[in-house]
Amino acid sequence: MLATYLYCTLSFINTSDLCAVDKKKRMPAVRGDGMRGLAVFISDIRNCKSKEAEIKRINKELANIRSKFKGDKTLDGYQKKKYVCKLLFIFLLGHDIDFGHMEAVNLLSSNKYTEKQIGYLFISVLVNTNSDLIRLIIQSIKNDLASRNPIHVNLALQCIANIGSKEMAETFGTEIPKLLVSGDTMDVVKQSAALCLLRLLRTCPEVIPSGEWTSRIIHLLNDQHLGVVTAAASLIEALVKRNTDEYKGCVSLAVSRLSRIVTASYTDLQDYTYYFVPAPWLSVKLLRLLQNYPPPEDAGVRGRLTECLETILNKAQEPPKSKKVQHSNAKNAVLFEAISLIIHADSDATLLVRGCNQLGQFLSHRETNLRYLALESLCLLATSEFSHESVKKHQETVINALKTERDVSVRQRAVDLLYAMCDKSNAEEIVQEMLNYLETADYSIREEMVLKVAILAEKYATDYTWYVDVILNLIRIAGDYVSDEVWFRVIQIVINRDDVQGYAAKTVFEALQAPACHENMVKVGSYVLGEFGNLIAGDQRSSPAVQFQLLHSKYHLCSANTRALLLTTYVKFVNLFPEIKHLIQDVFKADNNLRSADAELQQRASEYLQLSIVASTDVLATVLEEMPPFPERESSILAILKKKKPGRVAEPGTAGNDAATPKERKSPALNSVGNHSTHNTSNQSTDLLGLTSPSATSASQNPAPLVDMLADVFSSASPPSVNNGFGSSFQPIDNLKKFACKNNGVLFENDLLQIGVKSEFRQNLGRIALYFGNKTSFSLQGFSSSVGTPGDLTTKLILQVKPVDVNVDAGAQIQQLVNVECVDEFLEYPTLTILFLYNGVQQRLSLKLPLTINKFFEPTEMNSEAFFTRWKNLSGSNQEAQKIFQATQPIDASHIRTKLIGTGMKLLDGIDPNPENYVSAGIIHTRTQQIGCLLRLEPNRQAQMYRLTIRSSKDSVAKLICDLLCDQF
Amino acid sequence: MIKAILVFNNHGKPRLSKFYQYFNEDMQQQIVRETFQLVSKRDDNVCNFLEGGSLIGGSDYKLIYRHYATLYFVFCVDSSESELGILDLIQVFVETLDRCFENVCELDLIFHVDKVHYILNELVMGGMVLETNMSEILSRIEDQNKLEKSEAGLISLKNVNLPNLPNIPQQIKDIKLPDLPQAIKDLKF
Repeated sequence: MLATYLYCTLSFINTSDLCAVDKKKRMPAVRGDGMRGLAVFISDIRNCKSKEAEIKRINKELANIRSKFKGDKTLDGYQKKKYVCKLLFIFLLGHDIDFGHMEAVNLLSSNKYTEKQIGYLFISVLVNTNSDLIRLIIQSIKNDLASRNPIHVNLALQCIANIGSKEMAETFGTEIPKLLVSGDTMDVVKQSAALCLLRLLRTCPEVIPSGEWTSRIIHLLNDQHLGVVTAAASLIEALVKRNTDEYKGCVSLAVSRLSRIVTASYTDLQDYTYYFVPAPWLSVKLLRLLQNYPPPEDAGVRGRLTECLETILNKAQEPPKSKKVQHSNAKNAVLFEAISLIIHADSDATLLVRGCNQLGQFLSHRETNLRYLALESLCLLATSEFSHESVKKHQETVINALKTERDVSVRQRAVDLLYAMCDKSNAEEIVQEMLNYLETADYSIREEMVLKVAILAEKYATDYTWYVDVILNLIRIAGDYVSDEVWFRVIQIVINRDDVQGYAAKTVFEALQAPACHENMVKVGSYVLGEFGNLIAGDQRSSPAVQFQLLHSKYHLCSANTRALLLTTYVKFVNLFPEIKHLIQDVFKADNNLRSADAELQQRASEYLQLSIVASTDVLATVLEEMPPFPERESSILAILKKKKPGRVAEPGTAGNDAATPKERKSPALNSVGNHSTHNTSNQSTDLLGLTSPSATSASQNPAPLVDMLADVFSSASPPSVNNGFGSSFQPIDNLKKFACKNNGVLFENDLLQIGVKSEFRQNLGRIALYFGNKTSFSLQGFSSSVGTPGDLTTKLILQVKPVDVNVDAGAQIQQLVNVECVDEFLEYPTLTILFLYNGVQQRLSLKLPLTINKFFEPTEMNSEAFFTRWKNLSGSNQEAQKIFQATQPIDASHIRTKLIGTGMKLLDGIDPNPENYVSAGIIHTRTQQIGCLLRLEPNRQAQMYRLTIRSSKDSVAKLICDLLCDQF
Repeated sequence: MIKAILVFNNHGKPRLSKFYQYFNEDMQQQIVRETFQLVSKRDDNVCNFLEGGSLIGGSDYKLIYRHYATLYFVFCVDSSESELGILDLIQVFVETLDRCFENVCELDLIFHVDKVHYILNELVMGGMVLETNMSEILSRIEDQNKLEKSEAGLISLKNVNLPNLPNIPQQIKDIKLPDLPQAIKDLKF
C-alpha cells in the first residue's frame, strides 16, 4: 500500500510545479512554510546533468554560505537555520563540511525551538567526540536539561546519546541516573534518559550507577509505561553484562513482566500491541535479558518462565490472526527469541525438542526469512546434547536447502548447520553432499566450505582411505580454494599412519593421470610419491620410471615453488629407486634447472646433482630417509576457520553421540604414532609441515660437510611464501630517511616484522627504544638485534645496547633500549642487524639505526640582531654549505615548519626580512665540544625549488647537516 | 545495537544516513556505497538479512533491509538484535514517515532531511530502540509541530517579503521521473 502511495506522489509532480507539490504536501505534520531557499537549492542539485555540474553548484553554495557566515553579522536565526540545513544536505551528498559548526552551536542557545532543533541535528551528524566545541555544546546541553519543557530535555538527551564523549560522561554521568529514577520525570524523558545512560556506559564504564541505584533501576521493569520498560530493559541488559551478580534481581521482575505480556490478550496492551502481537519488542528484550542468567533457581519463577515459553510455543501453532507479514514477523521474532532462551538454558529436554520441531517446520516455510533464521537457530540447537539427535532428523531438508535455495545467505546457513550437526553416524553422507555442492557453490563461500569439509573428514574418519579420498576430491573440485594448510595436513596424516601410506601412493598416482590436474594435486602427489612411491613400485603400471615420468610431465606447467618440491622428490627417488638415477641426473643437469633463473631451483638442482654423484648409498639413505612422524597437534585448519569466523565455529559435533568418545577423536590420526625421538619440534610446533627440523636433525647425525648445505636446502621446502623475509605480498618499508626530522615512528616493516622507534635526546646523550613486533602467527626463534659502529664511528659514538628476548611470540612486541653518547660529530649511521629463525629459516635484516648528528641539537632562541651578527661571523669558506634542490612534495608552510622543528633546531620567526623564508638556530652537543649552527631555507614556489644554507662554527659540520636535510623537503 | 541506518534509492543516492558509532566522513560514504553494492544486487524475493560488508564489521554484523519502491531502508545491527524485530522496526519507521508526510515519497526524504531525522530520533536513540508504538511517536512529533507552529507566525510574515524568487517552473520541468510501468513491477507488499 505504502509503495503505491510513493508512486502517486511521484507522478503528481509531472503535472504541477514545485509550489503545488509543496502545497499538496502541506499537511498538519510537515513544516508548511518550508525554507524556500533550501528547496530551490535542492532542486538545482537534482537538475544537474552531470557530477561536475553538481559539484560546481555545491561549491558555489558553500562559498555563498561561507561568506554569509563570515561577513553578515546580522544573520537571523531563520537564515542560520536555512544555511545549516543546506550544509546538512550537502554533507549527505558526500561532501566534507568543514565550517558552520560554530553557527550550529549558536543555534543551540536560540530561544526558538526549530532553531535549537536544527542546531542539535547538525551537531549530532557532524561533530565528533574530540571536537573543540564540545565544551560549548555541553554548556547548552546543561541549560536544556534543566528546561521544564520535556521536548527541550529530550533534544539535549538525544545529543548526549549521539556524541557520547568522555567529557559528557563525566559531566552528566551523575545527572542522568537521577533523571531516570525520579518520580517527577515524565515518561518520554525517562525513556530517553535510560538509553542516554546506556550510551555513556559504553564510552565510560565508570559511570555505572551501583548500590542503591541498582534496585531502583531494576524496578523500572515494573513501570506503567511500556516504552519506559523497553528502554530500561536495554539499559539493564548492558548493566547485567558488566555486573551479572549485582543485577540478578532483574530475573524475577523480567519473568513476571514477560508473563503478563504473554498471557495478555491483544486488546490489553492497546497501543503496544503490534499487528495483534502484544509488545513484541519488549518481549524480545526481556527474553534476551534472561539469556544472561542460568535458569532461575527459585522454583516458582522457573515454573512461570517455563509457562511463558510453553505459551509462546503454543501460540505458534494457532492460526494467524492476520495475513499481514508484520503479524507473522512480530510473532516469530518473539518465538525465535524464546527458542534461543530454551537453547541457552539447555536444561529442559521437552522444551528443546519442541523448539527443534518448531524450527523444523520453519525449514520448509515459504518465507525465506524464516528458513534463514531456522537454519541459524538449529545450528545452536545442534550443539546441545538433548537436541542433537532431533536436529539430525532434519538432515534431508537441510541438504535439500543447500541444493535448492535461491539465496546464497540461506545456503551459507545450511552449510553451517550441516557442519554443526555432523557426527560419526552421518559424516560420510554430509561430507559427500558438501563435496557435491562444492562443484557449483558460490565463489564467496568455497574457501570456508573447503575448510569445513577438510575438518569433518579428518575428525570423523574411521577409515583413513576415505579421508585421503575426500581431500584429493577437494583438490580436484576446488583446488584453487584449498589453502596450503589443507594439503599440509593430509601429508602430516599420511606420514603418521602407515596403514594408509600405500593407499595414498596409489590414489595420488591415479589422480595424477588426469590430463589436467590442479597444482595442489601435483604438490601432494610429489610429496607422497617421494616418501612412499616404493610401496607401489612393484606394479609394472606404476614402476619407478613410470612414476617419475608422470611427475615430470607436470613439471613444466608448475610454478617455481612446486618445481622446487618436485626436485626434492626426484632426489628422494635417487635413494628409493637407484635404477632410475641416470634419468633424474639428466633432469638436474638440464639447462633450465642447473642454469635456472630462479636461484632456488638452480641451487637445488646443482646440490642434488652433486649429492647423487658424490654420496655413497649409506649417506644417501641417511640424508634422504623417510620423514619421521609429526608430533600431535591441533589441526591447523580448525585454527584458520576459527580465525575466519570468530565466535561462530564450534568444533563440529560437540554434543550427542559424540560426547561419548571425545578423547578418542582429538586428532585420531596422530594418536597411534609415537613421537620421533630425535624430532626437535618443541620450538616449531606451529610450522605446519615441520619439514625443516626432521631433515636437519636426522642429517646432523652425519658429519659430512654436505649436510649443512642440505639442511639449508631442505628448509626451503617449507611454506613457499616465507622462504625469505621479503615475501611478495608486502613491499618492505624502510623509513630511515624520515627520521632525520622526527624521533618516533615506524622504522621498518616487512611481512614478518615491524620495527618501531621512539627516542629522546638531551645534550650529548640519548636513549632510543626499538620495538620489534612479530606480525606472523608463529613465534620467531633465536631473535637477536645488535647495533654496530663501523669504521671510525666507534670512536665517535658510545652505544650501550640492552639484550632482547630470544623468542618473540606470535603477534607479540618486544622492546630494546639503546643508550647513546655522542663523543664527536659523525657522518655514518650505526648499523642495526636483526637475526631470527622464522619457520626454521634463518632471517637476516641489515638496517641502520636512525641516529644522526642533528639529534644532539639544543634549540637556541635568539633575536634578529643576534642571528645576523652570528650569521656574518660564520663566513669562512668551510663554514657554509649550500644546496639548491627540487621540492619532493608541494611546498606547504605547515609541512616545512614541522620538518624544521623536527630537525632539533629552534625555528625562529620574524627574523628573515622575507616572510617566505625560514631560519633556525641550534647548538650541537658532543662530549668534547659544542658546535653552533644556523639554517636558512628559501622556498621558491614558482620553480618548486628550495635553497638551503647552513653555517656552523666548525668546519665540515655545515656540510654534514646540509647533506642530511636537503632531501627532507 | 544498531550501528547505522541508511536509506538510499535504487541508484545508490543516499537519502538518509545515520551512524551510531563514529566513522569519519569518508568512511561513511564508503560504507553507504559498499552497502548499496551488497543490497542492490539481491533479488526482491530473497531473504532480508545478509552479513555486513567488510567496512562495517563483516560477519559479526548483519544488514537487515527492506526495499520499498524506489528506496532501500537498511539497518546495520550486531548480534544482540532480533532480525525480525528490526524488520518490524523498519516497517514502523516507514509507516510513521508515511503518516507524517501523508503518503511519503522519495521527494519528501530529499526535501525534508531534517524532518526525517527528527522522526528517526523518536524511534532510535544511541543505537537502541527507543519507542515502537506508532501513536506515541506520532503524538510526540505532533507536540514538536505545535511548538514549531507557535513560532512560525512571525517567520512566514518575513517570508512574504523575500525578493527574487528563482524561476521555479522552469526547474520543475527538469525533475527526473522514474520510469513508472517498469517500477510498478517492483512494488512490494
